[in-house]
Amino acid sequence: MSDPEALSSDADFGLIRGYPQHGRGADELVGPGGAIRAHWRPVLERLQAIGAAELARREGKARLLLREDGVSYDAYADPQRNEGAWSLSPVPVVVSPDDWPAIERGMQQRVRLFGALLADLYGGQQALLSGLLPPDLVFDNPAYLRPCHGTLPAGAHWLPLYAADLVRTPDGRPRVLADRTQMPVGAGYALENRIVLSRTLPEGFRACNVERLAPYFRSVQEMLKARATSHRDNPRVVLLTPGPYNAAYFEHAYLAQHLGYTLATGGDLTVRDDRVYMKTLGKLLAVDVILRRVDDDFTDPLELRADSLLGVPGLLQAARRGQVAIANPLGTGLAQAPAMLAYLPALAQHFLGEELVLPSLRTLWCGDDESLAEALAHPVDFVFKPAFSPRETQTVLAGDLSAAALAELCARVRARPSAYVAQERIWPSTTPALVGETLAPRSMVLRCFAVTSQQGTAVMPGGLARAGDQPGADQVSFQLGACSHDAWVLASGPVPVAGVPPAPPARVALSRGGGDLPSLAADDLYWLGRYTERAEGIVRLGRVLIDRLQDYGGRLDPDESGELTALAGALAASVGLHFPAAADLQPPDSATLLARYEEILRAAVFGEGRGTLSSIVRAALRTGRMVRGRISLDTWHVLASLDDSLRAEGGTLRDDPLGTLAGVLNQSVRTLAAFTGLVMESMTRGQAWAFLDMGRRLERASALLSLLTTLEHRIDRERALLEAILEVADSGMTYRRRYLTRMQVEAVVDLLLTDDLNPRSVLYQVEALAHHIEALPRVEGQGVKGPEQRAVVAALAALELAEIEQVVEVDASGERPGLTALRERLSTGLRALSDALSTTYLSNVSPGVTPSRYTVPYGAPHGAEPDSAGRSPYGAEAGSVVETGSEEP
Amino acid sequence: MRLEIVHRTAYSYAEPVSTSHHEAHLGPRDDERQRTTFFDVAITPTPTPLRSQFDAFGNRTLHFSFGEPHRALEVVAQSSVTLTARPPVDLEASPASEVVRAAVRRPRRRDLLDACAMVFDSPHVAASAALAAYAEPSFAPGRPLLQATRELVHRIHGDFIYDPQATTIATPLAEVLEKRRGVCQDFAHLGIGCLRSLKLPARYVSGYLLTHPPPGKPKRIGADASHAWFSVFVPEAGWFDFDPTNDLIPSDEHVSIAVGRDYGDVTPLRGVIQGGGAHEVSVQVDVRTAPGIIP
Repeated sequence: MSDPEALSSDADFGLIRGYPQHGRGADELVGPGGAIRAHWRPVLERLQAIGAAELARREGKARLLLREDGVSYDAYADPQRNEGAWSLSPVPVVVSPDDWPAIERGMQQRVRLFGALLADLYGGQQALLSGLLPPDLVFDNPAYLRPCHGTLPAGAHWLPLYAADLVRTPDGRPRVLADRTQMPVGAGYALENRIVLSRTLPEGFRACNVERLAPYFRSVQEMLKARATSHRDNPRVVLLTPGPYNAAYFEHAYLAQHLGYTLATGGDLTVRDDRVYMKTLGKLLAVDVILRRVDDDFTDPLELRADSLLGVPGLLQAARRGQVAIANPLGTGLAQAPAMLAYLPALAQHFLGEELVLPSLRTLWCGDDESLAEALAHPVDFVFKPAFSPRETQTVLAGDLSAAALAELCARVRARPSAYVAQERIWPSTTPALVGETLAPRSMVLRCFAVTSQQGTAVMPGGLARAGDQPGADQVSFQLGACSHDAWVLASGPVPVAGVPPAPPARVALSRGGGDLPSLAADDLYWLGRYTERAEGIVRLGRVLIDRLQDYGGRLDPDESGELTALAGALAASVGLHFPAAADLQPPDSATLLARYEEILRAAVFGEGRGTLSSIVRAALRTGRMVRGRISLDTWHVLASLDDSLRAEGGTLRDDPLGTLAGVLNQSVRTLAAFTGLVMESMTRGQAWAFLDMGRRLERASALLSLLTTLEHRIDRERALLEAILEVADSGMTYRRRYLTRMQVEAVVDLLLTDDLNPRSVLYQVEALAHHIEALPRVEGQGVKGPEQRAVVAALAALELAEIEQVVEVDASGERPGLTALRERLSTGLRALSDALSTTYLSNVSPGVTPSRYTVPYGAPHGAEPDSAGRSPYGAEAGSVVETGSEEP
Repeated sequence: MRLEIVHRTAYSYAEPVSTSHHEAHLGPRDDERQRTTFFDVAITPTPTPLRSQFDAFGNRTLHFSFGEPHRALEVVAQSSVTLTARPPVDLEASPASEVVRAAVRRPRRRDLLDACAMVFDSPHVAASAALAAYAEPSFAPGRPLLQATRELVHRIHGDFIYDPQATTIATPLAEVLEKRRGVCQDFAHLGIGCLRSLKLPARYVSGYLLTHPPPGKPKRIGADASHAWFSVFVPEAGWFDFDPTNDLIPSDEHVSIAVGRDYGDVTPLRGVIQGGGAHEVSVQVDVRTAPGIIP
């Protein structure tokens, strides 16, 4: 235990008065004698000058900045939103200048070692033949991917990106807890932490000569560019992500944006003739380099995991043919097995003739008899981990177990020793974190990053530090509610200011107005537009119906409320509810009728069906999630808040069902208007916006047409119905300005169908669609007019040639056949237009179909007819074909 | 013995397939008992591209893909091989199981290392206590490995019923063991699983078998099928094949196409297709003695 007196006499540091140590590990801030370590002094002085209260305020500000940037980790926390909000301490970790050169050299050495090891294991396997590495570590390791033999060009380094988790042992030495060779996650979080902290603690940052992170990211860009085998002067790089449901999706989107690369999912890429292409609107763009954030065994369903939906069929063959460079290369996960740590000293001697500069924590692979005996002799001294999986969640601290649980653990290890490693349990060093008004020590792990190219290995000065949120915790990970810290490496003199983040490299493709919008993103934006507009249509219709019901005040005469029947029918149809025909809707009393309308309203808003308001909003949110990088965060929040309010109500309508519903719908109208307003104001008018707007226009035109079906059969209370229709279509004011209170069916139909000045008329929507379609890239090999152009021209002609007086003429049976004919013609035309858009821009290049797999089955009886039908080809069960292009997702 | 094989696989798709990627193991291996004199594969429509290379197990592997829409796929592989009959195997002369087990435990030679790789679990074949229990009666301490394996193969043939309706590719080995039913692929996996459960190296062999029509009847075209069996490793002697489906030691009527840890490594034809909808597949295999050559 250090002496608090020594601290306070050291300087007048109120912040650290009483800074205790749990006494078992080293401390980053305080040396063995109880004195503040020299490299912390300048930082601590600044913190002290700022003061605890102000620091706490700035911590709140940092939290706000992180929230605004949408920083998150662990999407599983809440699949809807606010995923595992990221937390950043206002107190950095200051890396000792005595340690840093050794850490840097140690990282560089491990990169050389793992590079040589991977080249050997995916080559001649001398490490196995010489007996240095037990064969289990390769052959029993699921990360050993045989098809990856021979997929890296000769001479290319196997480990362009590498990260290591470092801890300081009680003896004061930094050691490696775990290696990350598969996909070194975290560099993006480190960058975001730095950006936020430099805004939170500007004075400390300026005064302390903190080494900058920008050069590291420039090295990453240079490395990726240098690995390209074609278009070497301007290669196209994409960041391959599993998508928004991945825990680290924020980082994928963030890195792609800062490095200037397109973010792509497996579905955005395709392999043709052994080359990788990105599917964009109307054309394929060759991809030269992939920055990979999908686990390597998931990247190619043909040769690797067949059940993967995240990969690109044929990718491995493209890599094998040298047509695409992937970083990290496929197969690199092999080296990060915890069991490998046990053999690194011997391997370093074998491959490099060197001792490890940065040793690992002592790790025993239980598959070795002596190691097993040692681990089980004193299990409480060890942390047990899976031998081949780097997942921290499966770590077991034997010393914390009850006697029964410990016995059970030992039995598990004994039953399958080769599946476990035992790692020495140490107390990691502690670093100061702000707790209330003072600093308190918290255990920490530092993740360091390295990038390797022909020019050598560059190590990011600093890294991503994570600290436990409880005193005395000795295991820290992203998963366990840890708090992150920025890590500062201090230079001896002023650090030249470099742009943080690095400027995206100039790229011709980007300046063409977003010509590389991936087809899948266009598809998602299109459906986002359709869903939000559809939600608005439901809300408007529902609101008017409630309004009329409230006007009647519970005295509904079935014979004197025909407009309600029509409106309720339209609402039911718009959400896909079955609604009895008007003739069957003649209940004896007004209470029954009112109850029926209420039921329809409630079902339309909260029901489970796929067309109801709740479902449509959820679908919009889901689709919006896929394109989060393309719509602003505020826009996203608007969508999320709508879902929140619908969930909060949850369909529990208490004493005043109509009043409650009216409240929900009024709120929804305003929220959706906010969404539309944000889209109009904040989205650049590129292809992304065009597809979102086309979705809205198409949906609005369809909704208007189905609203007009209520007029196809003349009813007694047509005037009331016309007024309601105008209100649903938000055109009441316009109408009244033009026609005052005279309600004429032809005037209403004209305003809603063929008035090109009314932004809510069908013609206005079709003209807007025509405008968008004109601006879309033309697909090569197509005639002068594409099918979508023909469809829109036909719809325009039908509207412009329509004689409204004839259209609304009523025949002897009270029908308006002209309106029905025109409406059907336009509806058919709009459907054709939507299909043509899907075929030409969304599904032609991107078939919008989940790939299915098949294998030819074995095993017909000998001498009998091959009975392949009786066997289940792989594709039969895996091949649930889901269309996303021409159908709703 | 000279054999000619025609292996035809035809797919028809209900909807056009826009792009597809395929991997095939259809070309015979070359080893001391088998020499490939002819191999050709005809694919319709014409793929872009078609590549032939060797996988990590030394199997000839074809990769091909299509970037244009198509509604059907036909792959016809034709091969001729010359087979040398295996001299009678002296099962008793083989080393005891524990000797083999020790030899591949710390391999310092390529062939031993390759054998060692076949001791570990693979996606379709994992060692288990149940498999070990089934195998153990045949593997008494000190008993020669090949003699024990021959007995195991005989027992599998006796204990298990050949039933194409009982299993699919996805049926776990434990279920095969429990139900006592399956096809050649299941029995090969079973044999491999038994040996691996005793920490002995065993690998999967895919190929063809020359079949004989019932006496007095002509051989039907397309009546043959892909076949599968397994082999075990004996240090200083190499791999020995066993066919549990037919309870025999393959000689010059078994044509080997590919070896691997299990079926998944050597699937004759597989692919990932975009589009296609429902599809129908037909497979025809013909294995016959080369004309003019008396077997």
